[in-house]
Amino acid sequence: MGTFTLVFLAMAALFAADMFLAKMEKAESQVEAARLFEQGRGLMQRGENAGAIERIKDAISIERGNRDYLRTLAQAQFAAGKTAEAESTLTELLQSDSTDGLTSLIMGRVMVKEGRFAEALSYFHRAMYGHWNENAAENRLRVRFELIDLLAQRNSKEELLAELLPVQDDAPRDLRTRTRMGQLFLLAGSPARAVDVFRGILHNAPGNADAYAGLGAAEFARSNYRAAQRDFQTTLRLAPDDQATRQRLDVCNELLTLDPTMRGLSPAEHFSRSLKLVELTVDEARQCIGPNPSPELQGLLDKAGTALKAHVSAAHESEVSESNLDLAEQLWQARKACKSPPAVDSSLALVLTKLAQ
Amino acid sequence: MDSNQRPSRMAKLSRSLDRLRQSEDQLSLVLSLLIGALVGLVVVAFILLTGRLAARMYPAGGSGWRRILVPVLGSLSTGYLLWRYFPFARGSGIPQTRFALFIDDGRILFRTVLGKFFCCSASLASGIALGREGPSVQVGAGLASVIARNLGLNPKQVKALVPAGCAAALAAAFNTPIAAVLFSLEEIMGDLHASVLGSVVLSSATSWMVLHLILGDDPLFHVAGYRAVHPVEFGVYAVLGVVGGLGSVSFVKLLLGLRAWFMRLPKWTACFQPVAGGLTVGLIGYFVPEVLGVGYNHVEKVLNGDIVLKVVVLLAVLKIVATAVCYASGNAGGIFGPALFIGAMMGASVGGVAHTLFPSYTAGPGAYALVGMGTAFAGIVRTPLTSVFMIFEITRDYTIIVPLMISNLIAYFISYKLQKQPIYEALARQEGVHLPTAHSRALAERMQVSEAMRSPSAVLSPDLLITMVLRKMKAGEFDAWPVGDAEGVWGMIRSSELEQAADDGASNQKVAVILREGSRSGHSTTEDPPYVHPDQSLSLALEQMGTSGLNVLPVVSRANVHQLVGIIALDDILNAYGVAKRGSSMEPND
Repeated sequence: MGTFTLVFLAMAALFAADMFLAKMEKAESQVEAARLFEQGRGLMQRGENAGAIERIKDAISIERGNRDYLRTLAQAQFAAGKTAEAESTLTELLQSDSTDGLTSLIMGRVMVKEGRFAEALSYFHRAMYGHWNENAAENRLRVRFELIDLLAQRNSKEELLAELLPVQDDAPRDLRTRTRMGQLFLLAGSPARAVDVFRGILHNAPGNADAYAGLGAAEFARSNYRAAQRDFQTTLRLAPDDQATRQRLDVCNELLTLDPTMRGLSPAEHFSRSLKLVELTVDEARQCIGPNPSPELQGLLDKAGTALKAHVSAAHESEVSESNLDLAEQLWQARKACKSPPAVDSSLALVLTKLAQ
Repeated sequence: MDSNQRPSRMAKLSRSLDRLRQSEDQLSLVLSLLIGALVGLVVVAFILLTGRLAARMYPAGGSGWRRILVPVLGSLSTGYLLWRYFPFARGSGIPQTRFALFIDDGRILFRTVLGKFFCCSASLASGIALGREGPSVQVGAGLASVIARNLGLNPKQVKALVPAGCAAALAAAFNTPIAAVLFSLEEIMGDLHASVLGSVVLSSATSWMVLHLILGDDPLFHVAGYRAVHPVEFGVYAVLGVVGGLGSVSFVKLLLGLRAWFMRLPKWTACFQPVAGGLTVGLIGYFVPEVLGVGYNHVEKVLNGDIVLKVVVLLAVLKIVATAVCYASGNAGGIFGPALFIGAMMGASVGGVAHTLFPSYTAGPGAYALVGMGTAFAGIVRTPLTSVFMIFEITRDYTIIVPLMISNLIAYFISYKLQKQPIYEALARQEGVHLPTAHSRALAERMQVSEAMRSPSAVLSPDLLITMVLRKMKAGEFDAWPVGDAEGVWGMIRSSELEQAADDGASNQKVAVILREGSRSGHSTTEDPPYVHPDQSLSLALEQMGTSGLNVLPVVSRANVHQLVGIIALDDILNAYGVAKRGSSMEPND
């Protein structure tokens, strides 16, 4: 009886002591882990990612399962270029909570870095629709814009437009964001929506040079060169130092002097522009043909030479204009086979593309 | 009313306990649970206390000099306490536990338990490069012993509870309940079929539950999941087995050599000897802090591939030296933890080289560190089965089991070939204690009946008359003879039975009559006669002779117990052991 009583008393005392020690250990461990984590974060901010990884791992070994530590570790690993390790850390986190928005976002970035774009897209979407501890709406919008920027960089027009449309109404109404939205619509291949956005901005801020520049670019993309010329000119009036718009205006001016499809041109002017186009395409072709052009190309060049030297009466100008334009198109197509393809945004390229349409 | 009920309840409880004490099985069951829970609580306290003490001795950002001063002071103070008050609390605790179990009727003093608990805690917290698991085993065994003796149990019962205490301690210390059971049977008892299995399993499970209740469900090490990358890898794991085996032997030989050297020093130096360990680990730890203490956090780093090749090689070598000096100089602490550390570093070294040479065919160094832990454990402690289960339970990674078995087996074989005595046996022998081992028991069991038995030429027919048999018996040297016919052996008949029959005037009766009468009265050896099989040990035959009081036994077939294949006499057994009388006419039939 006495022994059993003593054993039970000892067990009760030991249990109390164990609980006290365990509580003390937990508290001290948390403090130590937080200290190591802060050290790691400091190192990370200074760009010393290897040291940061080591410290944060030490913190994690003390306080396992701390999601903040694990996420920061993944970010440090990502910053250090250890994408496989970052992926492993993030996978562990997502296995325990697949709805974690921030973790999904970091995983999306890791996937982008690894060139696994389809998976990255999926993780960005999981981040957008996932759980965020604070400022959920703001964070989701930030993720969407990060994805939009990524899609814009990759020139993924359809996916970009798909991301832009839902955010159109939710995006902040400040000038900078609206201007960016207009530019993004333009990048996404939707110049009509871009025109609407820029017009909306100019309605509220008639003197906004960026909006005029954007509107000009949108009109240019819609092949409304006259309107584009007007908007670019307005931009330069408002911001004379805008060199990019000046270059665009130059291209626009050239286009307007070259474009044979413009309304209101006299037959003589139409003929003259067709000859100019033949001359320019011959020059472009000659830059790349080398000493032995193909018989087909040589035939076209000979034909162009004849056309450029021919005397055409006023009565036949319209007829010859059309054959000149055909010849220019054929030469342009043959020129495309060259090792150095023609610049797609040159005035000549734009006119010939328009003709081809 | 209440005051009247209380004594009555107490009396009831007291009576229940008294009844429990009388029922051996029930008592064993209850005590196994009780010991499991108590030992679990004590080991958890030991782990937590050591951890908190260590945190205070080595605060964050502390000076480098602490790494020299603290182990030196720790070993000096605990060395004095061990020498002056707790002489049985030195070292690992495993040989001491086996000593108590096999030589001292399971007697471990409470003072030793206290000494082991506090001295070890202080010693390990100060950075001495030893482990907590061996000491936990002695603490667990000691508590089981103290409880059992205080309950007035007999030595046999005390001895039966000591392995339960060991298993409970190891289950809590390593968080490995299955390996704890296996270790208690494989190393402590030296017999995987020991009858104490039930109580060992119960106490181990109870202790493990207590650990989980207080400290949660974390395994000792968190490791990334590994898998075999290519079949070629098994070759690399075999190489790891060789390296692990050689490393283990080096460690054991160094430790034993140093221990012998320390034991040759003058006696008055005994209380200062541990300082040599403290100073060694301190000096190494000043430059390489990873060597201090048990170093499980560094083991985890290696398991996750976070330490570079050069460092792991250095750590393996330094830890071998530090642990060997710390243990040999008489500090309190075990070698399980260091064995895992050394194994992990050796494994990571082999894995690191292999992965550098064949990156497409091999897993990262972490996988090899994992296998290396088991390899070193099998090589140093020589418990291959325990080591496999231990690594599985420590890491909860099943995929690594097959490479682990390959590597373990090779390391065990090399260790056995190059160092005949297992470490605990060798340590005990250095102290002048010769503990029984599984190997020595196997040797004793090796001589079989078939090697000493003779042909069954002298079988009595049941139709023979008693007078004729008595004449024959007087001429022979046996006090009993097998009786049988064409159907097989009937049983054994003693000369005393025949003489009694003759005295009763039944000399002209047949032997069969005596046998039948004896069978009816229950005095004859006909019913359930003593016998042995040819493949049984001579020691068992001796035991049977002692039980039956016969100096000769029939040897019968296992397929048919009535088929006599020979007889074996006491002289045959003595002759087989080389102690028979010279000039005996009986020749054993091989």
